[in-house]
Amino acid sequence: MSFSDETLMAYADGELEPALAARVEEAMRADPRVEEAVQRHRALRADVFSAFAGVLDEPVPARLRPAATPAAAPAPAAAAPPVSAPVSDPGGATVHSLEARRAARTPPARPAPAAPRWGALAASLAVGVLVGALGWQALDAGQPPFARHGGAMVAQGELADALSHRLAAEPVAADAVRLGVSFRDRDGAYCRSFMLGTTGGFACRQGDQWRIPVLAQAEQEQGQEAAGAYRQAGSAMPAAVLDAIDGRIAGGTLDAPAERAARDRGWPGGK
Amino acid sequence: MSTPPENDIAALLPRLRRFARSITFHREDADDVVQIAVERALTRSAQWEPGTRLDSWMFRIVKNAWIDEVRTRARRDQLFAPEEEGEHVGDDRAEAQQQRMAIEQAMRRLSEEHRMVIGLVLVDGMAYKEAAEVLDIPMGTLTSRLARAREALQALLSDRTRNKE
Repeated sequence: MSFSDETLMAYADGELEPALAARVEEAMRADPRVEEAVQRHRALRADVFSAFAGVLDEPVPARLRPAATPAAAPAPAAAAPPVSAPVSDPGGATVHSLEARRAARTPPARPAPAAPRWGALAASLAVGVLVGALGWQALDAGQPPFARHGGAMVAQGELADALSHRLAAEPVAADAVRLGVSFRDRDGAYCRSFMLGTTGGFACRQGDQWRIPVLAQAEQEQGQEAAGAYRQAGSAMPAAVLDAIDGRIAGGTLDAPAERAARDRGWPGGK
Repeated sequence: MSTPPENDIAALLPRLRRFARSITFHREDADDVVQIAVERALTRSAQWEPGTRLDSWMFRIVKNAWIDEVRTRARRDQLFAPEEEGEHVGDDRAEAQQQRMAIEQAMRRLSEEHRMVIGLVLVDGMAYKEAAEVLDIPMGTLTSRLARAREALQALLSDRTRNKE
């Protein structure tokens, strides 16, 4: 029995009804060429997905949020609570006080498309330069967040603590470590992305340590005033880090329940 | 209540931006498309039928915003290059980045129709049924178009591999 390429594609996409899917599986066992065709569809899907996956991790520019568009909000420039965290906040806790946000805004002019983007990045820096050179004055612990351990950079102190114990959706103080996505790398280790001030990176669990393969500095462009509107959303994860995640991730990012389960089990796995 | 709640639209923004990134050729254009779509959604919110999927409706508005407003003036010159040049940290990263850029470049060489189906099904992960609804085409058309789009993309990617060797 042979299946059309469309049927094999639909199987790879999880779109076949169970009875037909079972027949495809049978054919895959019987014929390596069928198996190969399905794998090709899966691989392309995974590659295309990961090429764009990093976008979800970027803070949403303020100009895109509903309350910021001219169509919404007559918006008097009244004193009111500040605009809160990015709407991509997985907790979703920051988006419900639209009225307050609206009141807080002066009528927004739509920025020219070429307006400086907060979160545009600078070149990545070598890890060693970062330690000591960058400002984690924000972290009041005297201990730097990174240490060298056997040639690798590992997290320590508040950073290690956040990576081990905190869920991404938990609200934190503005100056604390911000956690991004969690995922498993190709060796099966759990990894988590984080931002520390304007430094972004990710760490992977190895044994009882969080090793940090990549750190990069997000830097605001010239003209901080112009970028001011975007700052409250926090710095964007540097693209260098997103690229590195793309290169390591196996499958997708963990959703909130999976993240919690992994945390509760102590981030097992990895070599 | 017949208008979609603003915070439901806000919650869709990361997905809408990702989709827009996959059908346009430039980051700023992608965000322009999303911004226009949000504005349209709010001014036309009465057109949304409660009980229908808000995401399908929003994705359709994004698609239309690209086609009838941004596409004609779209930047095509540099893909996402400026920020990516000059950051070379390690081989793994360079390789992952190359892979990503290869896919972005192949995507922009696809036809509009093919980019749309890939953007909805492979990039967003939408089910065929919803993707067909966004594009306003029958399921059968969606399926065959997706199969052709994948073939085209695969061909572009293998050309590149061959050329490198």
